[in-house]
Amino acid sequence: MRKKRLRVSDIGKNGADRLVRINRKDLMPLPDIPGEDREDDPIRPLTDRQRAIYEHSLDGVSAVAIPCAKDEEEEKRLIQSFLEGLKKLLSKENNWTFLQQLQQTLDCCVKCQACSDACAIYLGSGRQEIYRPTFRSEVVRRIVNKYLKKGGRFFAKLRGNDIELNWTTIARLAELAYRCTMCRRCATWCPMGSDNGVITHELRKLFSQEMGIAPKELHEAGSMRQLRVGASTGISPKAFVDIIAFMEEEIEEKTGRKIKVPVDKKGADILLIHNSGEYLSWIENPAAFAVIFEEAGLSWTLSSDLYGYEATNYGVWYDDVQFSRVVLRQIGIAKKLGAKKIVIGECGHATKGLVVLADRILADDMNFPRESALPLLEDIVCANRIKLDPCKNNFPVTLHDPCSIVRLMGIVEPQRKILRKICPQFREMEPHGVDNYCCGGGSGFAIMSPMNFSDWKLTIAGRMKVKQILDAFKDVQDPSIKKYVCAPCSNCKGQLRDLLAHYKLRETCGIYFGGLAELIANAMVGLKKPFIEWQ
Amino acid sequence: MAKATLGGVEIEVDEDGFIQEPDNWNKEVAEDLAKMEQAFPMGDDHWKIVNYLRNYYAKYGIAPPIRMLVKQTGIDLKTIYELFPSGPAKGACKVAGLPKPTGCV
Repeated sequence: MRKKRLRVSDIGKNGADRLVRINRKDLMPLPDIPGEDREDDPIRPLTDRQRAIYEHSLDGVSAVAIPCAKDEEEEKRLIQSFLEGLKKLLSKENNWTFLQQLQQTLDCCVKCQACSDACAIYLGSGRQEIYRPTFRSEVVRRIVNKYLKKGGRFFAKLRGNDIELNWTTIARLAELAYRCTMCRRCATWCPMGSDNGVITHELRKLFSQEMGIAPKELHEAGSMRQLRVGASTGISPKAFVDIIAFMEEEIEEKTGRKIKVPVDKKGADILLIHNSGEYLSWIENPAAFAVIFEEAGLSWTLSSDLYGYEATNYGVWYDDVQFSRVVLRQIGIAKKLGAKKIVIGECGHATKGLVVLADRILADDMNFPRESALPLLEDIVCANRIKLDPCKNNFPVTLHDPCSIVRLMGIVEPQRKILRKICPQFREMEPHGVDNYCCGGGSGFAIMSPMNFSDWKLTIAGRMKVKQILDAFKDVQDPSIKKYVCAPCSNCKGQLRDLLAHYKLRETCGIYFGGLAELIANAMVGLKKPFIEWQ
Repeated sequence: MAKATLGGVEIEVDEDGFIQEPDNWNKEVAEDLAKMEQAFPMGDDHWKIVNYLRNYYAKYGIAPPIRMLVKQTGIDLKTIYELFPSGPAKGACKVAGLPKPTGCV
């Protein structure tokens, strides 16, 4: 009953208690998975020590590891800093990248709640009020109206801007900025064109750029590490060269073909950049790209230069400054090599960041041609540039649509055309395409697993995706029939790996996952061994 | 930052239990970490993986590609998960005293 009574203004009250307590029974049912209807806390509690040092009063979860404020004085300073940051978000000089969308969303919400029914997290959580897309936005709107507008404080209650800006509000809001994957499904449902995902994005920016509050995985061990070492994974140019040599051995063993993977080839048409996590966790994906590109006779190269072998740009998720620093370095590499264009491998946020968002900062001759690999793969497959035998992919396949590439960039058909052509048992999830649900690992969640946040992302954020996957394979439940969830995005794959393990879907249903290029390579004729190994 | 008693000494660990003082790593520390990771008692295969990870890290400053680990140790991924239930990155790297892997892995 409590969740129904929760109001927006409660965010600043009772800082010692969590706003909600989630019971597994409240979550969206997963009838096909035994035990998912039991009555318990699906999220491990923080330890006493963690509770004493980190803010957790939103929902008992800590995604950001925000240190508790020491005393009233520090609280005052933090509140002031938050308001300063908020002012900057609303000024053209400081936020020319996103001001228009932010202002539009703050101004134009008719509270119809169409967005709530579109949100995988809100629905997955069993409609917890705090995860409603408009809850977060309404908090921000009220703070702006009450604290930054003329006469705002005096007329606050009268104008429906009842809110108390204290440290509790800010700490909960910072955590709440990490309970939304910015999949922006809600934005496509909004009749006013408002975008609650942008509110999340702008909040994260404020916290990072103004207050130095950001998840360690994204900032310190993410974008900062990339700027320091060359890649967020920590791969240095020296390690990269070693890994490519290993990849060539792998390719030879699997395909029986000796391929010299082009690295730092001057003047090649295409500079291909993968998410560097692929080399460490799923090297078969960049290997498949190499096999396909060589077979198709493309003029392409990888780069072993500092920053040239890492497509990720975590700044997309939380910090415009970090985003810009990384983009400029990536473009610099492509220009130095004299490539005609950059092609980004199977990574959602990197593609959206470099192809679309970067347009806002790449002026004049820095505006270098950039594109997703998916249309290029479509061209290779559908124009019959390489010989493929669909019979080699005769197993059930479904497709997960990475939000960044599909809904947010409109690249919908290339991957489907490929699968229809080379996977005889391809079936769509429902809904799919631009209406897809996020995997629950978006906006960096796939790589964030501090304290008890993993429990949250697997039981709540990824819940809808688990249901969709199970439904897509309803006709072939037998675990001895191996099934493939194709996810052309590194982040989605990380989340799928953890979801399949958490819900034991591999053991009980025979469900595996992988990228798109692997399916193409698997269908190639004349290879020594099957490319996909079902590991 | 938390402290944990490992191998009889207090060692700083991060919130996920990865040790922050790599110089203090030794066999006893590894075994205590293995207890937390349901990887105890440690047999030959555990050590084979741990040693490979440590050697690669010393050379390149990162953990190796998973596929390379599988190939060079001759232990398949399924077995690695049996030996280290949290997997090669979160489980084996922790026992080996490496920092928590970063990036999209």
